[in-house]
Amino acid sequence: MRKIFLIVLLVGFVAYAGLNLAESVTPYVSIAEARATSNGVQVKGLLDKNFQLAQVGNEFIFSLQDEETGETLRVKFDGIKPDQFDEAYHIVAVGKYAPEDETFHAKKLLIKCPSKYEGQQAR
Amino acid sequence: MTGILLLGGGLTASLAAMIICFAQKIPSARLVKICAGTSTSFICAASLLLWYLLFENDFSVEYVATYSSTTLPTMYKISAFWAGQQGSFLLWLLIHAITGAILTFRRTSAAALGIFFLLQSVLTFLVLAKSPFAENPAQVYEGVGLNPLLQDFWMAIHPPIIFVGYALLAVPFALSLGNLLTETSQAWLEEARKWTLLAWSLLGAGIFIGGYWAYKVLGWGGYWGWDPVENSSLVPYLLAAVLLHLITLARKKPAVLAVTHLAATFTYSLVIYGTFLTRSGILGDFSVHSFAGSNIGLAIALANALVLIGGLCIILIKAKSLPQGKMYETHGESAFIILLSCLLLIFIAVIVWIGMSMPLLSQLFGQAAAVDTDFYVRPTAPIALTVAALMIYTFAKFGRMISFGGKVAHVGFLAMLTAIIISVQGETVTQELRPREKISIAGHEVIYEGQVFFEAEHKKFYVYTVDGEAVRALTKLRGNGEDAAREPAILKNFSGDIYIAPHASAIDDVQELSLTKNLFTMDGELGYVFEDAHIERDENNQPTQATAQITITDGEVEEVIHPLIIVTPDGGSSQALEVFNGKRRVRLTGISGDLQKARLEILPTLEKLSSMPVTATISTKPFIWLLWLSVTAICAGTLLAIKKF
Repeated sequence: MRKIFLIVLLVGFVAYAGLNLAESVTPYVSIAEARATSNGVQVKGLLDKNFQLAQVGNEFIFSLQDEETGETLRVKFDGIKPDQFDEAYHIVAVGKYAPEDETFHAKKLLIKCPSKYEGQQAR
Repeated sequence: MTGILLLGGGLTASLAAMIICFAQKIPSARLVKICAGTSTSFICAASLLLWYLLFENDFSVEYVATYSSTTLPTMYKISAFWAGQQGSFLLWLLIHAITGAILTFRRTSAAALGIFFLLQSVLTFLVLAKSPFAENPAQVYEGVGLNPLLQDFWMAIHPPIIFVGYALLAVPFALSLGNLLTETSQAWLEEARKWTLLAWSLLGAGIFIGGYWAYKVLGWGGYWGWDPVENSSLVPYLLAAVLLHLITLARKKPAVLAVTHLAATFTYSLVIYGTFLTRSGILGDFSVHSFAGSNIGLAIALANALVLIGGLCIILIKAKSLPQGKMYETHGESAFIILLSCLLLIFIAVIVWIGMSMPLLSQLFGQAAAVDTDFYVRPTAPIALTVAALMIYTFAKFGRMISFGGKVAHVGFLAMLTAIIISVQGETVTQELRPREKISIAGHEVIYEGQVFFEAEHKKFYVYTVDGEAVRALTKLRGNGEDAAREPAILKNFSGDIYIAPHASAIDDVQELSLTKNLFTMDGELGYVFEDAHIERDENNQPTQATAQITITDGEVEEVIHPLIIVTPDGGSSQALEVFNGKRRVRLTGISGDLQKARLEILPTLEKLSSMPVTATISTKPFIWLLWLSVTAICAGTLLAIKKF
């Protein structure tokens, strides 16, 4: 009786946690891979200096450049330009690519600064 | 070098203490005390040396140059000790060593002491491997200074409290294994209970203080972000809670002893695992708190393997001599409810562990990945609510059996869950506000008043009026006038906080002027002549500071300024100067080596800056004080429970 109870509880938990995990995982991908999927991903890149930054209302738009291939990706961040964005060395954008406007919609940005202090996070 | 020698002395003495404890049949308590005392003295001396170097501004030590500066206030010179990775390991070791010395006076078994000093030796080795006393390869005259975000009272005390919690969790681990190695009894439980309560209370206090600091200083509006560093302290905290309840239960039910030993081992190995995850640099791209470029990962991984595998092996070997039997009789019994709650807490810990380890786990199976915050919130919320329900049931049925401190802590937990649920019900708006512009949120009237500058003190304030009451949001400035840390303005009320977080100004109205020596350069209605420059150098011919003489004229009046650049490790710092009664603000940003060219920044005037619109995120945090009160109750109740059993 007590063993069955424990097993049911454990199986229930594993199934529950597993389903939840499948929904929440965001793999870490290159720009090319981000374009190829409509799932949530994390893309890391450098700031594309040739792109004019824009803040339109509550949306901040910039362009990310792949460190190796040089490929660029237009990113729309659901928020305001994060502090220390201008000093950013690496930027990690977390979100989904939308083929209809050829833009990566980021929910979260991680800013990595080369500056004297550790990186700051934008939420 | 002295630091390394002191640590080496500490390591030798703690190894000696360990060998005496393990090798002698009946270890001489006096000899163990002497060795432990010697080790602790050496480690204390090394710690005092680091503080001395920080106070002496000895920038020939890299750690001092990286985390301190001549201008750092005394309080933060003390806390610069644990601002970086190397120093925080030394702090951990210091607390561990002091605890070890105390243990030798508390009739602790020799086997438990042996394990404790083994851990002390490992920690000392880690500090030696990544020493805070390493020489600075560069010669500098000024340090980088402490991150302005960390220059806050709560952040100064947060790391030591967390590390006391971590260090003290080694005690139940050592007592548990020490008991298994010798007699396998319940004798260790009472001592372990006291130390675990103390550790749990302080680890909790450290975590909550971190959350309060994030809320008060970082300005993103929350107190918990499921960041790996936060998670890595939450998992041992949850497991220590399980350990605490199992210890209490095992005193009455010997059958629970086996899982109690397991809990002690898992709790301490997750302390080390969390440190490994956050301090080894492998999470560099996933966490805010990354300590980049660290090569200490392997050493911590080995330490972690030693604790986990060593602990599990001893438990397995001794499993047969542990009492068998039923852990509970009926499902209505308090033992069953406690065990079930412990299992649920372990579930939460497992979810958090998977989430924080995802970047690492996913790399083992291919592509690196991370989880979003929903991953944590969605499954843990219903589990936490179930735990709360079980707790209320236990209170109603077995309330008499719980000590006063225990009652306070459990009521605190229930109040905390309530406060969390209430606090996320607030409203949020993000809007650009011109000075004197009004905005209404949840029945409150917020007016943006403008900015007030205190350039000499490197700070400025955004001033707001909320329901007629003035509040200020502090922004700390760098030496060059840029924003270094932007804190929110908070108006505290009984009904909750009004939380105003200004954002960086979008307007970048800075012009740069390149001046050539003795050449007249026009900018608007003003003319500039760069007349002279001087660079001061140290004995190694490295520049320390540079001054220029520049004459500015509006055609009628001439004004001569002597701006200064001080060379710092990350470039230079120079203050903006006001000219023509505040009509212009200029800042010297560079002088060429041949003294023929100078770069001058023309900045917006303070008046203009103050009148610029500022975007702010304004939110209400209903009854947030209940959260601070309830977590205080959790920690205080736990401390009270140490005395009475």
